Amino acid sequence: MKKFKSILIIILLFIIIYFLQCNFFSWFNIAGIMPNLYVVLVLFVGLFIGKKIGVVSGIIIGLILDALFGRDVGITSILLGAVGLAAEFLDRRYSKDSRITIVIMAIAATVFFEVAKYAICYFMHGIELEIMEFIRILLIENLFNSLLIIIVYAGMKKLGYYLEDGFKTKKFATRYF
Amino acid sequence: MKNKFGKTNFIGVLITTLILVIIVVVSSVNAGSSSVFNQVVSALFTPIQNGFAHIGYSMSGNPNISDVDKLKQENEQLKKENEELKNGQRELEVIKKENDTLKEYQNLKDKFSVFTTVPGMVIERSYSNYDKILVINVGAADGIKENMAVACGQGLVGHVIAVNEHTAKVQTIADTANTISANISTSNQSILVKGTIGVTQELKATSIPAEATVMQGDTLTTSGLGGIYPKGILIGTIKEIVNTKNQTDRYATIIPSVNFNTVNTILVITSSTTENKQE
Repeated sequence: MKKFKSILIIILLFIIIYFLQCNFFSWFNIAGIMPNLYVVLVLFVGLFIGKKIGVVSGIIIGLILDALFGRDVGITSILLGAVGLAAEFLDRRYSKDSRITIVIMAIAATVFFEVAKYAICYFMHGIELEIMEFIRILLIENLFNSLLIIIVYAGMKKLGYYLEDGFKTKKFATRYF
Repeated sequence: MKNKFGKTNFIGVLITTLILVIIVVVSSVNAGSSSVFNQVVSALFTPIQNGFAHIGYSMSGNPNISDVDKLKQENEQLKKENEELKNGQRELEVIKKENDTLKEYQNLKDKFSVFTTVPGMVIERSYSNYDKILVINVGAADGIKENMAVACGQGLVGHVIAVNEHTAKVQTIADTANTISANISTSNQSILVKGTIGVTQELKATSIPAEATVMQGDTLTTSGLGGIYPKGILIGTIKEIVNTKNQTDRYATIIPSVNFNTVNTILVITSSTTENKQE
């Protein structure tokens, strides 16, 4: 029941982010640049729930986005899936109880996602590289993502641990007993 | 201790929110629109203004207490009337909007009468900062196919890249993966126009022939080459010509005639009437 509830929460979060990205951030933006909250959502799911759900949610969200707006179906899906997978790797090495760590993880995930997507687009469509403009957009996008994470971190952490409870089984460190 | 940390966290979140709002407002003011700033200031100060107005109103001497019941009744009556009027106005607004849309469709149809077209509306815009893709509310059921050109009253919008039953994805000419062949209005020579990654939606014209005389303010139209875009649709005007050491490398920046952030009513060009006659 808790798992089902958790999945419903992830779906609800996706719908809220979809609404924000398509409507709210079209006017609430920094110099015309919007944040990318889909990457943050997948990272959040992977960090708190684990790689399986992280990868699956990344792939599903990516597929939906590709189907709705994508130039090529599958690219966003694969990249978001990779973000979900990397999230558990990050969870094992770094603490998610620190705001700064989460911000750094989100920056790393956004940079990986956008650079990989741009590179794939470059090879597939032969687009002209505009490195300086790309970096400018990426920097503002990361600043926006970071500020939003700082603002919602407390709620994010609380919700994250609630979701974690539903999926991850508690492991005891037996050597201490 | 916990309380102290909670307070610090709250202040931190508040400061971050303020920083974000300030950045957004400043960036929008710099972009030439002060409306967001005005809205924020107005939202912050309206309650204070209302409070002052209320104090001033009550101090200036107003209705007697004995009139209160009568006023209440009148107020109820007026509220009812107001509600009815509002409903009527809402209906009128809906009809007006429909009428405007139909007029716009008709004007567009007249403008592009040489082509067989299907009218549609933009229902979604890409969430990404790097793609410039639109979703329109017409699809395979309306006869839309891939690689059909899309235009609006101001000029060329882009072409269809994917079709569903009732929707289609349009890659705008400002998208970085889009390249079109264009004609310069004054010299009638062909050049290539590409989309750029920037948020300004400017286009870049390359492969300008060395002998071509290109001037700032020249308009560009589609050349008809490439098989997707029909000839003669307006693309935009030349903003700046950037000369390089090598004459063949020079390029021009172009302001598209269409604003892709606000475009709503579009026409999908299914075929030109000349093609129909040939068939």
